[in-house]
Amino acid sequence: MGTLETMKDIFDNPNKIIEEWKKDGRKVVGHRCMYVPEEIIHAAGMLPYPTFGTPEPIKKADSYFQPCACEFVRNLFDLALDKKFGFLDSMVLCNTCDAVRHLYNMWDTYVDSVPCYMVNNPQKMYDESGFKFYRMELEKFKKLMEDLSGNKITDESLKKSIELYDETRKLLKELNDLRKRDIPAISGSEFLVTSMASMLMPKEKANPLLRKLIDEVKNREIKNADGPRILLTGSIIDNPTLIELVEDMGGVVAVDDLCTSAKYFWYTTKPNNDPMDAIVRFNLERTLCACAHPSEDRYDYLQELIREFNVDGIIYFNIKYCHPFVYESAIFRKKLEEEVPTLTLEVDHSLSGLGQLKTRVQAFIEML
Amino acid sequence: MATKVTTPGKKNLQTTLEIGKAIRAYYEGVKEAKSAGKPVIWSYGLVPREIFHAADAPVLYLEHLPLMIGAKQLSGRYIQLAEEEGFSRDVCAFHRCFLGCAVAKDRDPYLEKLFVSPDLIIASNLPCMSESKSFLYAADHHNCPYYFLDAPINTWGKDIPDYAIEYFAGQLQGAIDSMEEHGFKVDMDKLKESINLTKKMMGLWNEIDNCRKTVPTPMSTVDGITAAYPLIQLPGTQLGVTLFERLLEELKEKVEKKQGVIEDEKLRLMWFGVPPFYNMGLFNYVEKYGAVVVKSMVEYIAGGAFDPSKMDPKKPLESLAYKALVDIVNPTYPNMVDFIVKAVEEFKIDGLIGVVKRSCGLLPGYMRLVKDAVYKDKGIPTSIFDLDGLDIREYDDVTSKANLDSFVESLLASKRRQ
Ligand code: SF4
Ligand code: SF4
Repeated sequence: MGTLETMKDIFDNPNKIIEEWKKDGRKVVGHRCMYVPEEIIHAAGMLPYPTFGTPEPIKKADSYFQPCACEFVRNLFDLALDKKFGFLDSMVLCNTCDAVRHLYNMWDTYVDSVPCYMVNNPQKMYDESGFKFYRMELEKFKKLMEDLSGNKITDESLKKSIELYDETRKLLKELNDLRKRDIPAISGSEFLVTSMASMLMPKEKANPLLRKLIDEVKNREIKNADGPRILLTGSIIDNPTLIELVEDMGGVVAVDDLCTSAKYFWYTTKPNNDPMDAIVRFNLERTLCACAHPSEDRYDYLQELIREFNVDGIIYFNIKYCHPFVYESAIFRKKLEEEVPTLTLEVDHSLSGLGQLKTRVQAFIEML
Repeated sequence: MATKVTTPGKKNLQTTLEIGKAIRAYYEGVKEAKSAGKPVIWSYGLVPREIFHAADAPVLYLEHLPLMIGAKQLSGRYIQLAEEEGFSRDVCAFHRCFLGCAVAKDRDPYLEKLFVSPDLIIASNLPCMSESKSFLYAADHHNCPYYFLDAPINTWGKDIPDYAIEYFAGQLQGAIDSMEEHGFKVDMDKLKESINLTKKMMGLWNEIDNCRKTVPTPMSTVDGITAAYPLIQLPGTQLGVTLFERLLEELKEKVEKKQGVIEDEKLRLMWFGVPPFYNMGLFNYVEKYGAVVVKSMVEYIAGGAFDPSKMDPKKPLESLAYKALVDIVNPTYPNMVDFIVKAVEEFKIDGLIGVVKRSCGLLPGYMRLVKDAVYKDKGIPTSIFDLDGLDIREYDDVTSKANLDSFVESLLASKRRQ
């Protein structure tokens, strides 16, 4: 099996990772969002596990959430109610959007089997007083992780974890850079699967695999690379179907600004003798999410992606009722359009209505 | 000719009429100040108003504007304008409405009387995502500076830790600095005085609440929602205190005379969610059954469910930080749910009406939690249905009334069985 296939296999069967990890009695801590500091969980000897949804229609969760809540969150809650996250020893959320705050409310009230914790991160970046506040929150979180795992987190262990996670980010970025070429070495959908598999895996395993993959594909050229180069952004995409749809319509997904992809690895931690401070600054010296401020930062970052990846068009895939991205796309639209044509689409997380989406994506790609 | 189905709410109190006048006078003052060349602030969310009063700053409150034009049934046109600017129907109708007002090239005469352009925008993420994001568009459109106050969500309940208070107090200081940078002078002595006045107002509001617990209730939520205006807009002012003193006096008299909103009070209801601002008469609709909507949750936003002893004039910013962070609408859920459960008991509520404004990211998320908690703790049922309190285009009168009819009839039937 080539490494791309191995990545796909891990993405399709994440249970194998869990089973292997749990064999020695080690714990798994689920989380949702990149503002949850995985390094702290890892330094306590546990596996940080990013929870993703499924394209299945919602069943039980709809009697808890109103249908006007983000479908991704309702989907996660559905899985939680169905005990699909029963392997988690704890779930960790953080302060991002209204929907995630309510996910915490619901989980804490109705899911007894897996305790849920909320990390209270500031939404304002670059603010010294916010760093102080967040540090206090992270110290509490660190203690919680120590209690859960029974392991002490030392500065040394935390530094090692930061190094390991930074290495994953660097490798993913290196792989992503191979998409800058006129004919990318890896397609958008292959990249998303690889990126998500690397997020799911213990980094000790992900890093050698990523190195091997870079070696394998660095001289490769994907087929059908003569279409317009697209930047994908918007709400979470945790399934390659939407990217495949753009590719099937003749677009080249040159880069994506997604929580399951570039947002996860774009930056690395700055050198710092105090590892907790390094994590504080890593999370609060960048505006990667549309939830955070100042939004100008995100605009500049999108500009960087447009330039570096030679982008011809932008597609916002906004999950219905995803307020952060619905606002952002409306606020950025005019400015972005002065540079590159931008299409904003409302999508269902369950991927219903793909036919209609196809027509709009096709028209956009033809226009480019 | 289409029949007009919406009606204004019927008020029963003299003081709420006075409060209505005070609202209009306030906005006339803002307009006059702008004409006299004074800079104007736009603000919204739960930004503590006391810092504005301490600077005598004219402020347009952007959750209030949609509400007022909503009451005149004018909101639809402005909501539509925002949608044409690219704001999807998924995001808050209040924010779409005010964004429509902000970008409109011509405005209805009623709105024109209230509307002034901003010189500075101060906004916060309290209590929801919309509050922190829509102002970015407005600031861009009017090419004016903005300051963003970051509020931590409340993961602590009533015991907000010092580091959180310190953080939000620091954010408030940042807002003050930004005001001073843009032509306002914040008088710290006046701010301390404002804290004293807020403390008084909160104490009076608690007494007003006590009167409302009486059976029959002397004040329904139609008056209550107008009465809550000083809580939102006039905390820290003598005018706010005076209005509440008068309201309390009027209510005490009614309690003494056992004068209820309706003659034969059979059912007491509570409203959870955004009220139908374009059709406040819907609250009166249930009165034909002998039912009164005694209280609505929105009257308690901005400190109404707050313990005034926590205000310390010596620590003005810390006091305001505590008040804002502990507010019932600041997620996460324990304070909100505790407040509703306690209110259901103290106000002797027979049933809860939960209305879902689909574009609201915050309140619909509480429905199930509140419904389960009041049923589990107090055995009180809740009826939940869709009703967007601001977007008149989405209003369905027949269905809304049918929902109320069936709920009230079932409550009456179960009372008869008892
Ligand atoms: S998709 Fe949007 S609304 Fe849903 S969890 Fe993510 S940011 Fe929040
Ligand atoms: S709480 Fe709901 S109604 Fe109020 S501003 Fe936020 S989204 Fe709009």
